[in-house]
Amino acid sequence: MGVHLSIVIPLYNEEDSVRELVSSIVECAKDFPFSHEILLVDDGSTDGTWRVIEELSTSVPTLRAIKFRRNYGQTSAMVAGFDHARGEIIVTMDGDLQNDPRDIPRLLEKLEEGYDIVSGWRVHRRDHFSRVLPSRIANAIISLTTGVHLHDYGCSLKAYRAECIRSIKAYGEMHRFFPALASMTGARVAEIPVRHHERKHGTSKYGFSRIFKVLSDIWAINLIIKFSSNPLRGFLFCAVPFVLLSLFFWLLCALALFYSWTQGKAQVFMFSALLSGAAAVHLVVLGFLAELVVHVSDLSHTHLSKLTKRCINGETR
Amino acid sequence: MSEGTERHPRYSAIVLLEDQDSDLIPLVDTLHRVFSSRPAGYEIIIVANGVGGFLRRALASVAMCNGALKAYEFPSKVSQSVCLKAGFEESSGEIIIVCGSHRQITESSLMRLLDSLDEQTDIVNSWRTKRNDSTFNQLQSRAFNALVRKIARCQVHDLSSAVKVYRRSVLEQTDFYGNMHRFLPIIAEGKGFRTKEVECEHYRWTGKTGPCPPYEYIERVADLLTLYFLIGFKNKPLRFFNVLGTFFLLLGFGCLSYVFLDKMLLGHPVGGHPLLLLSLFSMVLGVQVSSVGLLGEIIAFTHGRHKRQYTIEKIL
Repeated sequence: MGVHLSIVIPLYNEEDSVRELVSSIVECAKDFPFSHEILLVDDGSTDGTWRVIEELSTSVPTLRAIKFRRNYGQTSAMVAGFDHARGEIIVTMDGDLQNDPRDIPRLLEKLEEGYDIVSGWRVHRRDHFSRVLPSRIANAIISLTTGVHLHDYGCSLKAYRAECIRSIKAYGEMHRFFPALASMTGARVAEIPVRHHERKHGTSKYGFSRIFKVLSDIWAINLIIKFSSNPLRGFLFCAVPFVLLSLFFWLLCALALFYSWTQGKAQVFMFSALLSGAAAVHLVVLGFLAELVVHVSDLSHTHLSKLTKRCINGETR
Repeated sequence: MSEGTERHPRYSAIVLLEDQDSDLIPLVDTLHRVFSSRPAGYEIIIVANGVGGFLRRALASVAMCNGALKAYEFPSKVSQSVCLKAGFEESSGEIIIVCGSHRQITESSLMRLLDSLDEQTDIVNSWRTKRNDSTFNQLQSRAFNALVRKIARCQVHDLSSAVKVYRRSVLEQTDFYGNMHRFLPIIAEGKGFRTKEVECEHYRWTGKTGPCPPYEYIERVADLLTLYFLIGFKNKPLRFFNVLGTFFLLLGFGCLSYVFLDKMLLGHPVGGHPLLLLSLFSMVLGVQVSSVGLLGEIIAFTHGRHKRQYTIEKIL
């Protein structure tokens, strides 16, 4: 019989937490009416995490683990987990005991209501202010710009339909954008409040500097969502202000020559006109290049449509 | 053979529902009437693109027509190409009729459209010769179609009409994405499929009239540029960029020579010469455009090779 649920947990230097984490999951899993597996991804830990995992695997039959050669980051660890998970449903959670496995059944219930992704919302966060503030800012911006409205994108505790998440190619530190990326393909996203505990062991792997990385990711993700299927449009929209600016400066330049203003003025205007004109040409040319890249890529929209299309009448093939 | 046609309807109509269009049910009725007058089997597939529960409500009020009606929806908006592909995946007919959600052409025209798909034709476009909408809309549409004719060097008069008839192989062998579904007949023609236009009577106009917001015009321009690029240069991008690059390079070189001659013959100083600036800018731009083209060529070479560049009509 196939596995129904895979719990994917990225771990990085969590040797103190692993044992407790796995035992708490095993405790919860006793009540599951279906089969499950725990998939630990050791993201190149430098402490004894892998040793602990090996020990555990002898006593916990549902445990599977992947070890990275070096530290690749949380998103890569999650993607590796998605690739190797055997379940139809995948739940991801943090390895630092801050998420509570007792929330998993509730996530699954919500998923059963017909959603493709259910995200956790840490209503009462037990973190230091310096962690919460940047996260709040990032959440607000993601909510405003991506069109997917959640309270808490950064929460690792999420449940996905496996087919839905595998179709998303993640890179960089994109895991907080999985819901936004998936909704681009029409997936339905929901959110439920989950418990959140204080960190018991180890140190947080996040710092304040992350806000800049996250901001640039937000920018990238928005561009991808808007323009990945017709990039030339995007570039053309960017070029329009420069075209207008260039025309404006050419006009000023002509006026300067016609009314014999000082020669310096005419030259400044011409310089500006040429510069903005060149920028416009450059943007359009890059737009064509982008269009070519999309054209030759394997980005198969058909594949995505199969996942999100819902049947009202008649059967789906 | 007859059993095969029983199981697989000959006609599949794909109705793309983009908004809460109250004309949908009359359109479905019309399609039923048109197809029932023919011996071959048919099916009607409605694909709703992020219109909420509208389609469910609309269908609840109609008696289900002996299983010939299928309906699918996307919970949130996706591009129209995706909708069309989704509808196509669900279809099994040998002849595919794609239409929007309102009655654009009259019933008799629809009949004629279906009849004119003969052995020599793969695609039939409708051409609304007598249009029932505002002069501005007509002019706008004509200008757009004229531009398309110019760019794609093909004979098409009414691309904006949403009613089109395709043979199954056309949709199977032509790839389109983003907004390119609009130009599907042209892209298919570029692959060697034979297109035909049939004059139709316009039923009535239900959309908006008057000028669109400016960004829509920019989008159209972008679509046309994309079409131009993809038709002519997708396999040889460097040519496209080189033409542009060479233009700027020559412009720059010409201006520079003029400045030089001016200095040599008439003794005007080079320093303050306005054309000096132009020539330098232009030459830099030319080099940059060409190098972008080189990048494009590398992309086409490394990633575009798996794309088939030909379509096979028959293998004996």
